[in-house]
Amino acid sequence: MPVHLTRRTILTLVGAGAVSLATPLAAQDVTLRLAFIPQENPDKLLGDIEAITGWLAEEIGVPVEGFVTIDHAAAVEALRNGDADISFMGALPFVLAEAEIGAVPLLSEVYRDAPSYTGRIFVRRDSGIGALADLRGRDIAFADPISESGYLYPLAEFVEAGLVEGPGAAEEFFGRVFFAGGYQQAMQAMAEGLVDAAGASQYADLLLTPQQQAEVTWIAESAPIPSHLVIARPGLDTDLQARFVDAMLRLNAPENREKLRYLYGPDGYVRADSAAYDGVRDMARQYGLLR
Amino acid sequence: MRNIMRVLLATLASALLLFGPVAATPAKEAPWLPEAAAYRLTLFLGNLEPLPWDDIETAWTEPYRGSEFSVGVLAWLDRKSDIEPDGLLDAIMREDLQAVFAEATRLVALRIEENLDRALAAEESATAQLAVQTARELYRAFEDGIAAADPEAARRIGLAWLELNSSTGSAGVLGAGATSADRDTMEAARAVISGYLAENYLLDSFAPRRTLSALPETAVLSGKAIEVPPSLPPGSDIFDQDPLPLLVLNFEEQGIDETDLPLVAYGDMLFDSAQLFGSPAQDLGIACSTCHNRSDVNQRLFIPGASHQPGAIDVDGAFFNPIFNDRRDDPLDIPSLRGLRFTGPYGRDGRFASLRDFTRNVVVNEFGGKEPTPFMLDALVAYMLEFDFLPNSMLTTDGRLTDTTQEAARRGEEIFNTPFVGLGDRSCASCHVPDANFLDRQAHDIGSVAPGYEGARAGALDTPTLLGTAYTAPYFHDGSLPTLAAVVDWFDETKSLGLTEEDRADLTAYLETVGAADEPYEAFDTENTAFRLAFAELTTFASTIDTLLPRRDAEHILLLTDTVAADLSADASTMSNLPARPEVYALAERLAAVGAAVRADDWKAAEASWTAFKSEADAIEERAF
Repeated sequence: MPVHLTRRTILTLVGAGAVSLATPLAAQDVTLRLAFIPQENPDKLLGDIEAITGWLAEEIGVPVEGFVTIDHAAAVEALRNGDADISFMGALPFVLAEAEIGAVPLLSEVYRDAPSYTGRIFVRRDSGIGALADLRGRDIAFADPISESGYLYPLAEFVEAGLVEGPGAAEEFFGRVFFAGGYQQAMQAMAEGLVDAAGASQYADLLLTPQQQAEVTWIAESAPIPSHLVIARPGLDTDLQARFVDAMLRLNAPENREKLRYLYGPDGYVRADSAAYDGVRDMARQYGLLR
Repeated sequence: MRNIMRVLLATLASALLLFGPVAATPAKEAPWLPEAAAYRLTLFLGNLEPLPWDDIETAWTEPYRGSEFSVGVLAWLDRKSDIEPDGLLDAIMREDLQAVFAEATRLVALRIEENLDRALAAEESATAQLAVQTARELYRAFEDGIAAADPEAARRIGLAWLELNSSTGSAGVLGAGATSADRDTMEAARAVISGYLAENYLLDSFAPRRTLSALPETAVLSGKAIEVPPSLPPGSDIFDQDPLPLLVLNFEEQGIDETDLPLVAYGDMLFDSAQLFGSPAQDLGIACSTCHNRSDVNQRLFIPGASHQPGAIDVDGAFFNPIFNDRRDDPLDIPSLRGLRFTGPYGRDGRFASLRDFTRNVVVNEFGGKEPTPFMLDALVAYMLEFDFLPNSMLTTDGRLTDTTQEAARRGEEIFNTPFVGLGDRSCASCHVPDANFLDRQAHDIGSVAPGYEGARAGALDTPTLLGTAYTAPYFHDGSLPTLAAVVDWFDETKSLGLTEEDRADLTAYLETVGAADEPYEAFDTENTAFRLAFAELTTFASTIDTLLPRRDAEHILLLTDTVAADLSADASTMSNLPARPEVYALAERLAAVGAAVRADDWKAAEASWTAFKSEADAIEERAF
């Protein structure tokens, strides 16, 4: 069944017709709709979506459609208005979506054996900057204001060190605060010397060239941040939800791991533990993003 | 022998200013937008002679090799832009290089402007950010030129991109965390970028270019000689193949430690060193092992304009050493170096009887390197003579099939040894002599080379071994036959062998058995990683300092420290044990310090740093994965 996609926020739709005859749900008109958020090239993502939705359709026994939204906010809106059943989501947008529309956490991504990671403050090794306090009056690039590892958690390190009074007061400590648009852009700006520091995911230095990686280091690391998730809209059929989760967990099996590269390339998935996101909820409250 | 798989993204890899020694460690580039890719390809191909006009046309009409975009520039523009590429297409049709350069430069600049317009006009932050990102990615097409000519402008524009993105605001999530766009700042940042483009790239006419590059027009007009660091165009691939071929070294199989063979170890280092070559190979980190990874072939290697297909390269073309450009479009399928001491004479046509002469020709003529010292040539030859064929338990030492092999292969063996009229009453085995490693060390014209001119008698090629060939497809000097079955078909058809379908299948099975190996590839796991292999090799290379330091051999020590320190540092980026990375960086610095001390003629300090290196290398060996 086609999805009614007239919203400006939804860029493109990919349908997967392949449906297994194995265990069809009773209601044959059920279609599972997945929202994806582009990280780099939407054109490539379309191909990836086609591959993964085809596989999921066979595994779950209902048609699965995927579409690309412009950003996290648009994906949450799609969940709210029913254009999407399930979406891939960062931890911060998830807790906001949970509070606003009752979104349900289903799965957490696993990277390097952990469903969590950290944010770090990176500097150039030759900068002479060895501590957060050294960044007073200096310029910093973060990834995005709605990014846990690329803004909130790294900034919290300055708050904890007593250098920044609180969210919203960053400008008083730093020279300039930039939002570069992503980890890679923030790191590149730091590595090239456009800014003195970058706040980004602990793995963000791997986005630099090998030579640049040797030239940068980090001076502070945040508390663990629960990893990105897969979330569902409230009211999604529980049986369908369970089938989806089971299918996604089968991606951890060696024979299916290859397919993870179609999904932002995590090492695998675990069932989401809602309590693990309490820290993000607290952080969102501190920043005034959550009531 | 080391050259490991890289898996990281580096958006600006091609635009990096490279200081000091360059590691033989390519960085995987972030995908290029179609029009930026076509522009970079045009700059690269436009500097080749003879000029490959068909390739330039293809650059604009089809997706670049390995592109993540399914369409070429024309279809892409049709979808995304109001800009008409007619002027560019016309210039390509007229084969007017200066006009192509001008039109292509304007087109990319206009596309940046178009996206900046969209960003400024956008009502939503997300839409504005997408447009800014697109414009920024297109700007990448000019970035290395600006950085080389005018670092201050590059910095000013870099900050303007940051300003622009920051001032687009944020939609937040369902209103939470929303901030509005700062229009004035957006306008001001855009003005910095657009002003520079207007002065340098969005011009009605450009000064004539002797060499195409992304240098800004004002820099060209200034008349100053500005070198843009060499880069490979989108679609290039100089990564090692995956899986990585297994290296079989004779001494290693006999349990002899390479650190006890300093000449071999030094040659091993040179085989992996881009320092051996001249620019541009050296700047790009291209070494012997780039093409001959692990003594075998690199089936994925591809450089537009120099390769006609993966695994092939024209080493006497315009790119690597213009003085050696033979002006013939004749890329060769990269040959394996396994069993090298049995496979002379060297070169596809056997033109060099001596491996040493052949090697010097590669270094000096093909890749524009300085004249290697006798020690360097001795070392390289000593190392390469250790390359052994892959063990294959289906073959006896005199090249016959063992009893365990399949029936089909055994029937094929008989055909292989049967004389045919079409082969001049010889058999396949007459040239591919089974008890001589399946070759005869002679050149024969089998009709596989198209004559370069009427009456040419220049088609004889050195008989290649059949050992290990199951992993070195495609076949023939130009890689024109994709499989061993295709090779059988070719002989059957061109030599009228009259083989039945079953005969051909049997002969193919035989070739596949002869060409097989017990263990063709390196096996890695979570701790025995590609980095561990690299670490072991690099520390082995360094061990030759034990021999060179007492000799006070500054020249060869410096070549080693420059190569190995840079490689060790760059290879750390591939470690899976991320917490141990800083230790590897420190170790690389220790080795660089040996070089710095030798440069300063402070031999005592060099010895101290070398001693420290050895103990630190031992200490972190366990964590080096």
